Amino acid sequence: MRVVASEVRRLRGVRTTWVVVAGALVLNAAAAVFTATRLPAGELAVPDAVRSLAAVVPVLPLPLTALAAAVLGALAYGNETRWPGLPASRVTVGRRLTALLAKSLVVGAAALLLAALTLVVNALAVRLALPAGVDASALLDPPGLPAAPFATGGIGRPLAAFLALAVAGGWAGLLITSLVRSAVVGILLTGALPALLEPTAGLLLHRAGRNWPVWVRELLPFQYGLDWVRDAADRTAGALDGVVLAALLAPAALLVLAAVLAQLRRRSL
Amino acid sequence: MIQITGLTKAYRRGRPPALLDLTFDARPGMVTVLLGDEGAGKSTALRLMVELERGHGLTLFDGRTYRRIRRPEREIGVLLPTGRPEAGHPGQRARAHLRMLAGTVGVPARRADDLLEQTRLAAVADHRIGTFSPGMHRRLALAAALLGTPSTLLLDAPTEGLSPSNEEWFGAFLRSFALSGGTVLATTRAPEEAAALADRVVTLDAGRLAADQPVVEFRRTRLHPEVRVRGPQMARLADLLAAQGGQVRRDGGAGLAVSGIDRTEIGELAYRNGILLHELADRVVQRPVSYPSALPTGSGRSGRVSIRTVRQETPERETPEREAPGAEGADDRAPDGQPVAATVGRPAGPEPERQFDHRGLQAGRWAAAALAPHPPAQAQSPAQAQVAAPAPVAAQAPAPAVPAPAPPARTAAQPPVLPAPAVDLTRRTPRGASALGGPAARPAAARSTVRPTARPTGSGAAGPEPGPGVVDAEHLAANPTDAELLTPARIRGVGQHPAPVHPFPGRPWSAGSTGLRPAAPAGRSREPGGEPPAGAGAADPRGAVHSGAADDENGSE
Repeated sequence: MRVVASEVRRLRGVRTTWVVVAGALVLNAAAAVFTATRLPAGELAVPDAVRSLAAVVPVLPLPLTALAAAVLGALAYGNETRWPGLPASRVTVGRRLTALLAKSLVVGAAALLLAALTLVVNALAVRLALPAGVDASALLDPPGLPAAPFATGGIGRPLAAFLALAVAGGWAGLLITSLVRSAVVGILLTGALPALLEPTAGLLLHRAGRNWPVWVRELLPFQYGLDWVRDAADRTAGALDGVVLAALLAPAALLVLAAVLAQLRRRSL
Repeated sequence: MIQITGLTKAYRRGRPPALLDLTFDARPGMVTVLLGDEGAGKSTALRLMVELERGHGLTLFDGRTYRRIRRPEREIGVLLPTGRPEAGHPGQRARAHLRMLAGTVGVPARRADDLLEQTRLAAVADHRIGTFSPGMHRRLALAAALLGTPSTLLLDAPTEGLSPSNEEWFGAFLRSFALSGGTVLATTRAPEEAAALADRVVTLDAGRLAADQPVVEFRRTRLHPEVRVRGPQMARLADLLAAQGGQVRRDGGAGLAVSGIDRTEIGELAYRNGILLHELADRVVQRPVSYPSALPTGSGRSGRVSIRTVRQETPERETPEREAPGAEGADDRAPDGQPVAATVGRPAGPEPERQFDHRGLQAGRWAAAALAPHPPAQAQSPAQAQVAAPAPVAAQAPAPAVPAPAPPARTAAQPPVLPAPAVDLTRRTPRGASALGGPAARPAAARSTVRPTARPTGSGAAGPEPGPGVVDAEHLAANPTDAELLTPARIRGVGQHPAPVHPFPGRPWSAGSTGLRPAAPAGRSREPGGEPPAGAGAADPRGAVHSGAADDENGSE
C-alpha cells in the first residue's frame, strides 16, 4: 500500500504530470469544438456525437487522451530509472514486480481519471459550440440520456471503450518503457505501435470472417483516418503530377530538415 | 558487522582482476574506510557487496548475504554514485522526494521530515531538487539512504567533490553514526580524509588489499606531515632548518618541504633571522605502504598471520657502524624509525614472535612507545660521551643534567674502541616496571641480548638502571596514548599530530627532542633557545663540539 502511495507521490510531485494533463485537456477541448462546429444540422447521430466527445483527430495513432496517459506511464518508469532514489533497493525480483504493479495501478487510475475528465470537459465544450441547427437533446442533455446507454447502437459502449483505450495507452507506455528504460523511446514506440497493430489486427479479423464493430472504427483514430482517406480518394489512378509528387516528398523533406536542424543545434553527433 | 571474505571480480579473462581476494571486517561502532586510488577497486567492492555486480566471494551482513536480507533498506543504507549529480528528479521538491522514497522503503512519511532536519535540509525542503548544490544533493541522498533506520551504512565516495564544510559535516555525521553503534564503511581517495574519518583504514592497491590498519597506525606509518615553505631566501633558511634538526628537501623552484620541525617554529626561526617568507603551510603527504604494515591482519577466516619483529636485529646491525666516528650520519637515521623498523610499531618483546593483532589498545600503546626516545640511550649518554669525545671537560658538562644518577665507576675502565649502543630500538623496560623496580623486574633474556656489547665488564651494575624507568614514566605521563589520540578533538588534527620524525643525524638536541616528540605536540620540550635537560643527551659522540661544528655540517648537507 505504501508503495502505491509513493507512486502517487512520484506522479504528483513532478511538474511534467500537470503540464501533460492540462495540455491534453486543452487540446481535447479544442478538437471537440472543431468537430462540433462542423456537425451537420438536424438530429445528432451517435457516431458523430462519439467522435466529437472523444475528440478524435484522424490519423493520430491513439486518441489524445490515451497518448497523454502513455506519456504519464512512460514518465512513471523513466524517471525512476533515470534518478533512482534507492540505488541498491531494486535487487530482489519481488520488490521490482511490486513496484511495477504499483506503477501500473497508479497509472491506470490516472488514465481513467484523465479520460473521465476529458469526457466531461469535451461534453461541455461541444454543448457550448454546437451550431444552432443541431439537435443534441437526446444525447447530451442529462434528462434526455437514453435509458440503456450500453445497448447496441447506444453511446455508452463507445465511451466505455474510450476509457479502456486511455488505460491501455497508459499501461502500454509504462510497460514499453520498462523494456527500453527510456521515457522518450517508450513514448515513441507507444505511438508507433497502433499504426502497425490496427491494420494487422483488422486484416486478421477480416480473414477470420469478422470485422471491427463500426463504433470501434469510429473511435480508433488511425483506423478512422484510414477509412477517411479511402473514402475521400476517388479510385481512378491519376497522373503523377506536381501536387502528388509534393505530397509524397513532403515527409522525406521534413525528415531531412529536422535532422539538419538537430545537427545544427548540437555540439557532437 | 560486515564480514567480507575473498571478494574477487575479473571483468575480462586475461586481464588483471579488478578486485582480488579482498578480505576484511567492518565492525559496529567503527568507521571503516576503504582507501585507494582511482581504479583500485573500491566501488567494485561495494557494488559486489550489495550484489549489484556478479563476482566471487562472500559478504555477510550480520551473518547473512545481502540477498538473504528480507528488507535490506531497513538494515543497510547504501549511498552509491549514480553518475548524475542530482539526488532525484530535478522537478521534484525535496520533501516530496523523501516522502515518496519513504513509501518505497515502507516507513511512515514522518520519517522523511525527521531526516530533512537531521541532514540540515529542512529549510530548503520545499524547493525543487534541481536548484540544490552538490552538497545538498549528497545530503539528500544520504537522507534517502537513512530512511529505513539502517544500522549499517555503505557509502561510496561520500565526500567526493564536496566543499570542505560539507566534507566536515559528512565526517561528523558518519562518526556520530558509528558512535551510536552503527557500522560505517566508506571509500575515499584522500589519505588525509581517511585519517580524519576512519577508525580503521583498509588500503586497496590495484584490487589487492595493501594494508588493514587501525587509524593510529595508519597515521603513523602512511602519513607524513610536512611544512611547505616558500620565499626568496630559501637556501639560508634551509641551512638554519637543517641546523635545527629538520629534514629539508627542495620542493619546486623557490620552495622547501620541511619535516621534523613544526610550522610555528619555522616561522619564528625565519623571523629571528630576518628571512622573508611567502608561504608557510602544513600539508600531509602519503607514503607508500611499507612492508610490515602491509601484512593483512588475521581475520580468522584466511588463516592466522604472525610476523617476526625486526627490531631485535637492529642494534646488532648498528653497532659496528658506531665504531667509526665519521659514520654517524648513516646510523642515526635508523633509530628514529624512518625506515622499515619503526613501521612495525611494536617493540620486540621477550618472545621473538607474536600474534599480529592491532585491535587492542595495548598494541597501540606499544606502538607509540616504540617511537619514543629510548631512555636507556639517554641514560647511557655520559658513557658514550666519554668514549667518543676527545675533550673530557666538554663532555662532563652535560652529564649532571641527566636525571639518572651517574655511575661513579663508569669513567674508569672504558676502552676507547668500545662499540656504544647509542640508541637501540628495543624497549627493555616492560611497561609496568617501576622506576625503583631495579633490574630484577626486567626480563633477563631481553637484556642479555642487547646489553653485552655495551657493558662488557659489568661495571654499570645496578647504577644506571633506574634512570630509564624514570624517564619512561615521565614520558608516558607527558604523552597521550592512542585512546586519547582518538578523541574527537584530535580527529581532524592529522596535520598537527606528529608522525615519526627523522632528526638530523648527529645533533645532540635532535636526539633529545625527537625523543619527546612522537606523541606530545603540546608537551614538546624543544625550545629553540634552551635544550631540555632530559634530552641534553650529550649522548652523541659529537655533542661536545656541537656548537662549533654545527654550521659546517649543515652547510655540507
